[in-house]
Amino acid sequence: MSVKVNINQDLQQYAAKQEVVEVGGSTVGQCIADLVQQFPDLKPELFGKDGELLEYIEIYVNMESAYPEEMAKPVSDGDEISIIQMIFGG
Amino acid sequence: MLTSYDRERYDRQMIIQGFGREGQEKLKRAKVFIAGVGGLGCAVAIYLIAAGVGRIRIADHGVVELSNLNRQILYWDDDIGKDKVDSAVEKLKQLNHQVEVEMVKGTIDESSISKLVAGFDLIIDAMDNLPTRYLLNQAALENNTPLFHGAVQGLEGRAMTVIPGQTACLRCVYHRKLPQTKVPVLGATPAIIGSVQATEVIKYIVGIGKLLTNRLLVYNGLSMKFTEFRVKLDPDCEHCGQLAGGRS
Repeated sequence: MSVKVNINQDLQQYAAKQEVVEVGGSTVGQCIADLVQQFPDLKPELFGKDGELLEYIEIYVNMESAYPEEMAKPVSDGDEISIIQMIFGG
Repeated sequence: MLTSYDRERYDRQMIIQGFGREGQEKLKRAKVFIAGVGGLGCAVAIYLIAAGVGRIRIADHGVVELSNLNRQILYWDDDIGKDKVDSAVEKLKQLNHQVEVEMVKGTIDESSISKLVAGFDLIIDAMDNLPTRYLLNQAALENNTPLFHGAVQGLEGRAMTVIPGQTACLRCVYHRKLPQTKVPVLGATPAIIGSVQATEVIKYIVGIGKLLTNRLLVYNGLSMKFTEFRVKLDPDCEHCGQLAGGRS
């Protein structure tokens, strides 16, 4: 099972500057766990100390919002997960 | 009614397919409220005023600072220390003396929002913080007024258009709260996103093209990519869920 994770511009510095990473898993949570295993520096950028997804991280699967219960969302071979950060500057 | 001056001034946009004199007359009659005149607000205001939108109200409480000048292009070195609204109106009136530009110096908050948007056809979200963006979203929904959202950070940007009761609102897309921090911004980023917002406004008023509704446009300047995420109206949205349910 191969799923692509598109990593937001600001987070790429924690993933060896990669924009797209191949991961394995059958849910978003499993795929992101694999991503974090490959790039441990991403963990504090995605999750709080309580293990919950940080408030400003948004997850999309195949370009559609995975909210709510993002981590439980099932994914299939060839799916794309996108991690983006909310921004508010004007 | 267009004058001979209007017909010449706006000739290059009036010859766009579907635009015509009728489109220009719609622009001339339009009343647009721009919330904030920072990086995004400067870009949006310039292009709407250049396009001949009839009446524009801009609200901002800020004073021009040196650190604004890399991106807030209505302010120049000599403007440092002046109220942003005063400095902006001076340039905007020179850009197009026919457009009625009204500047309101003040904070956009729960006590002022209703009065600020009253009587205006469209709301532009050019703010620099999420709580005020949510206030604008609620005001747009309550007044059944389209909202044109833009946000920037670094070399990234977002834009989306909201038609109340019909399409996803800002709260349908942004579910959480954000810590207020100092935001890095390259000046060209709000220029790009502000231009997207201005384009959406003009398309809406004239009635051409396909709006950026139920789609969140994400601009990545580092890789120079525009990505589109599909979003949908959330029936449980705390801002528009009831509104959408009531209309369906």
